[in-house]
Amino acid sequence: MSDSKKSNVTRRTLLKAGAAMPLLGIAAPSVLAQTPLKSPTKIHDFMTNADVEKAEQEGQLVFYCHENEPGTAGIMEGFRKDFPKINTSYVRAQTGALYTKILSERSAGRFDVDVIQLSDLAPAVDFQKKGGYEHYVSPETPAYKADHLSSPAGSFFWTGVDPAGIAYNTTKVSAADAPKTWQDILNPRWKGSISCKISASGLQFVQWYTLRKLYGAGFWKEFAKQNPHAFDSRVQLFDRLAKGDDTITAIGEYPAYILFKDKGAKVEFVAPADGLPATPLIVGAVSKAPHPEAAKLFVDWAMSKRGQAWYQTNPNLYYGSVRTDAPPMPTGVRLGDLKLLYPADWDDYAANRDVFAKEWNGMLGL
Amino acid sequence: MAGYGVAAVAAVLVLYPVFFLFQAALDVGDPQVRPPTAYGFDNFNGIFQYPQILLNTLTVSVAATVMALVFGFVMAWILTRTNVPGRHLFEQLMAVPYYLTPLLGALAWSLLGSPESGFINQIWRALGGTGHLIDINTAYGIAWVMALFEGSVAFVMIAAVMKSMDPALEEASQIIGASRLRTMLRITLPLVIPGVLGAAIFVFAEMLGSFAAALVLGTPNRYYVITTAIYQLVQQYPPKIQVAAAMGVSLFAVMFFMLFLYRRIVMAGSYVTITGKAFRPRVADVGPLRYVLLGVCVLYLLAAVGLPLVTLLYASLQKIAVAFPTAENWTLDNFRVAMTMNAVRSALTNSLLLGFGTATIGVVLMGLLAWLIYRSRLPGSGLIEYVVMFPQAVPRLVFAFGLMWAWVVFPIPIYGTLWLLLLAYLTVFLPLGVRTIAGVMLQIDKSLEECAQMCGAPWAFRVRTVTIPLLMPGLIAAWLLLFIASIRELGASILLMGPHSKVITPSIVESWFGTSSELTTTLALIQTLVVAIAMIVLVAVTRRVGAHPVD
Amino acid sequence: MPASLPGAPASSSPSKPHIEVDRLELYYGSVPAVRGVSFNVLPGEQLTLLGPSGCGKTTTLRAIAGLEQPTAGEIRIDGVTVYSAEQRINMRAEKRGLSMVFQSYAIWPHMTVFENVAYGLRVRRAGAAEIAEKVHHALDMVQMRSFASRRAAQLSGGQQQRVALARAFVFSPSVLLFDEPLSNLDAKLRADMRIELRELQHRLGITSVYVTHDLEEALAMSDRIVVMRDGLIEQTGTPDEIYRLPNSAFVADFVGSANLIRGRHRADLDTDGLIALETPAGHIVHGMAYGRPVGAELVVSVRTVHLRISTEPPAAAQNVWRVPVRQTVFQGDFTQVHLGWGPQHLIARCAAMEPLAAGREVYITVEPRHVVVLGA
Repeated sequence: MSDSKKSNVTRRTLLKAGAAMPLLGIAAPSVLAQTPLKSPTKIHDFMTNADVEKAEQEGQLVFYCHENEPGTAGIMEGFRKDFPKINTSYVRAQTGALYTKILSERSAGRFDVDVIQLSDLAPAVDFQKKGGYEHYVSPETPAYKADHLSSPAGSFFWTGVDPAGIAYNTTKVSAADAPKTWQDILNPRWKGSISCKISASGLQFVQWYTLRKLYGAGFWKEFAKQNPHAFDSRVQLFDRLAKGDDTITAIGEYPAYILFKDKGAKVEFVAPADGLPATPLIVGAVSKAPHPEAAKLFVDWAMSKRGQAWYQTNPNLYYGSVRTDAPPMPTGVRLGDLKLLYPADWDDYAANRDVFAKEWNGMLGL
Repeated sequence: MAGYGVAAVAAVLVLYPVFFLFQAALDVGDPQVRPPTAYGFDNFNGIFQYPQILLNTLTVSVAATVMALVFGFVMAWILTRTNVPGRHLFEQLMAVPYYLTPLLGALAWSLLGSPESGFINQIWRALGGTGHLIDINTAYGIAWVMALFEGSVAFVMIAAVMKSMDPALEEASQIIGASRLRTMLRITLPLVIPGVLGAAIFVFAEMLGSFAAALVLGTPNRYYVITTAIYQLVQQYPPKIQVAAAMGVSLFAVMFFMLFLYRRIVMAGSYVTITGKAFRPRVADVGPLRYVLLGVCVLYLLAAVGLPLVTLLYASLQKIAVAFPTAENWTLDNFRVAMTMNAVRSALTNSLLLGFGTATIGVVLMGLLAWLIYRSRLPGSGLIEYVVMFPQAVPRLVFAFGLMWAWVVFPIPIYGTLWLLLLAYLTVFLPLGVRTIAGVMLQIDKSLEECAQMCGAPWAFRVRTVTIPLLMPGLIAAWLLLFIASIRELGASILLMGPHSKVITPSIVESWFGTSSELTTTLALIQTLVVAIAMIVLVAVTRRVGAHPVD
Repeated sequence: MPASLPGAPASSSPSKPHIEVDRLELYYGSVPAVRGVSFNVLPGEQLTLLGPSGCGKTTTLRAIAGLEQPTAGEIRIDGVTVYSAEQRINMRAEKRGLSMVFQSYAIWPHMTVFENVAYGLRVRRAGAAEIAEKVHHALDMVQMRSFASRRAAQLSGGQQQRVALARAFVFSPSVLLFDEPLSNLDAKLRADMRIELRELQHRLGITSVYVTHDLEEALAMSDRIVVMRDGLIEQTGTPDEIYRLPNSAFVADFVGSANLIRGRHRADLDTDGLIALETPAGHIVHGMAYGRPVGAELVVSVRTVHLRISTEPPAAAQNVWRVPVRQTVFQGDFTQVHLGWGPQHLIARCAAMEPLAAGREVYITVEPRHVVVLGA
């Protein structure tokens, strides 16, 4: 993982690294040891440590992503707009399946991936431990708080946040009957017409963990009695909600709500007072990538104002950006305005993955 | 000899993945570690944790088989034994649902028959009804779609039985003085029943391995059958590969047994349906009843072709598909977005490329195999026939499973590429291709080739000047069949697609599970259109090239 | 393995056989088709294998052709062993230099008449000019010249037959094999073609082996006939020999219709070189042994055409009986009369005559030389 570059650091790079130190906190010494040779170059309106020419020569970027297809295609579209010489291709699968896939490929000796985006912090940390990420510190790093980077920085960063509340179909549910708190999803009147996500989903895992912490293990056991329908993507959930196939969804993702409201769907979003479970969306360059320079370039692009603006405004994404200088989301809401629920202890969270999967799959019948 | 080389290729194609399938099923060690650390039968116990799934599978398969047989019998009767107008046209049209693929049928019927949002139910409520008229997301709904779109094989088989019946047998009954009804009950029906029974077994085996309808209609409702359960187990996190493999092996065992039964009862040895002498069956004049029967035919085709296509179009033009859209709901956006989706464009190109490749290589490979099994007198040709027909007993999904494991560890890096899909298609289509070509081959009088021999022509010269020209119509038909089959393939492709090897039908499924239903229907329509155009072009070209009728 | 045989007509001395079939056996699994058959074919002669269906004649022919693999025996063509079980030789059909006309004609529908006939020459890499000349010549000989550019699939049965024939001899093979080539034609055409084939064969001087179940065909066309039954040879001889001197009941009845009469040898009544036989009903019949062994019990054969019917007593010394007519069957060119003779039925075939009323008593007689003692 750590490339042993020559310690021929220039004064300039040292200064830059030094300037980043207070933000990075702990990792300063190791960052110094791995400072890249070149000085960052400016491309479009952001800084990159990648060799843009070489990246364009590589001509390809292979992207593994958890997003639904229009979302993933959307991300690729954004990158291609700025770097048309680089052909993009992607594989999309829910986080759990995606992570399994990349691990089994690597164990069989296949290294075909340049960048991976996951919707769950736990596999990201695990991947980092396994040396799956390329150690690469982007010059855009200073724009991020330490909490929103890998520890130590250089493996991955939070490219966005996806919060979820409750959403319901307004033609089927009057405002009076609408759910207001998380406890309301346990109401037997929603039995058989409530939806959630499959166990491979990162966000679903976060919701399970955080609400369990808040309301106890019995909460989800009660929820199982609702016989929920589980799906892979938020678009599917809202599709069914909008058409009335489901009455309410227990995991209404804010980005999807915005998208469907635009389409004229009769849906409404509820932000319970106790908070919205949210998962970070993690992007990192993969080690032993077939197109390493393109990978680095992508990371820089994604981290930049430009990339973040794309992530935030593309209708198939609508992510909330955690960049310290990011503008509000298209609805005018800032991430900071929402009460977000993250797992307090990420390690405990990661350790509970299997427990969650077993319980969740059992609830869904497999 | 070269013959054994071809046979060896076929054997490797078929048996290599099956070995890995069994290995995964018997692997009771750590699932992440390959090769397996421990072997045992524990995984099979895992199946019994899901008795509901077995029950579901049986329910759906039996219901679908019964429905398919009813449709098939009725349509076969109408089209081969009565003088309903447009008989020959309808017979050709009966193949269209097969080309449309059960996935499309499932998508369309989902839009039509979902209890809340289905168009039919919306219309029902608008007319004053309460609740819903039909619920397509149930066992019988799934069976209905399966029967409509996968059941045309029942029609083909029963029609063949009816056509091969000597009309003199019925005439003898009538001369003696029996009424038409009595003749049908005492003579025709008993003669037809063995063939129908054979069709029943065959169709049941196919329905057991069916995937598309249950995936689209059953999964959202947590209604699983074995194939969709296997898929879920593989896709979920963490994946339960070993249990899935055990399920796959069990399903395979049942299907194998059913097809073995079929072979015993009907075929008496060979997988090729030799119709032999083609009789001209008596066509009964049913008078004015034939317009009623015409209505039945039209109704069937509406349900299977017309309605689904119109529904898909209707939905694709709306933002949120409803039965009674308001003016603002109409949009061309879905088409715009669909056209920009790279995955679709590359999937279409890939599928067409793959179709060409599979069909061309397949025709050569399967032609050689057909000749080897049915025409040459090499010892062991019976064994080769078994190997070639093997994939029919394995549901595609299960087979792809084995393929996945088999080729990941293969030294040549074909995993995740179109080459892997090509291999998969060639393997799973072996029974189809060999059977089609063999059927034509066996109709060619052996003496035509023997005469060439007696004129002194060595093998290669004979094949080039006599065998292939005579086979040409059959080879072309097989080519087209393989082309279409590879484009509509779902079960195997869905597990073997990679980033650079996306193909049409699984892409539609991905879209169903990942984007709006309107966008999905748009994709489905675009792809159907492109394939239809490709087919028309191909048929036109081959008609030009096409050979002369065989005597 | 000997190279392919040359395609020139055999020129060796007339007594040396062209084709030798030696103790040929062919079993399909455990089912016997040919159970030990031996015969020779002399150069330029037409030998016919005659017998009912299932007797093994076609199998034998195809074995000679190389289209079936025998189980035991030897086949030699022009002295070259093309098949030998012992020496494990089995020359491929295309190398034996033979030619064959198939029962179904086997005309290739995707080629023109010209191309069909030219095939054998193309295989032999003949030049275009040579092909054109030979094909046209062959088509002339079968009167199909004007059909040369016609699509083969459009021909009638008889036309296909001629084309098949032309195709078979165009490349001057030394041997022609015929597998019931006329059986699919109607009776009139068959009769005509028989004569044409015979003439053709004589003109070309090709050695022929001909298979048929049709007696008339065999008698009309052959130099020699081999009668087969159940995979074995019943009798070999010229048409005349076989007809006049059948050596078994089977041959007697198969080759022309015959009455079979059983009885005790009455040596005391033998006279003038004639053998006397007494039937169980007491009739005395005189016939000739023709060198066959005469045992205590005998069977003799009397051809139906040799039984003379008259209303007046005939002036013969032996073999005269007065019998009732049971039935007459009008057959156009001849009439078949069924007569009662003791407990036995006799059948007589006569030229068309006035129908005889059933029950009418007539006189029948047969010359003793036409009463043939059968072999074992």
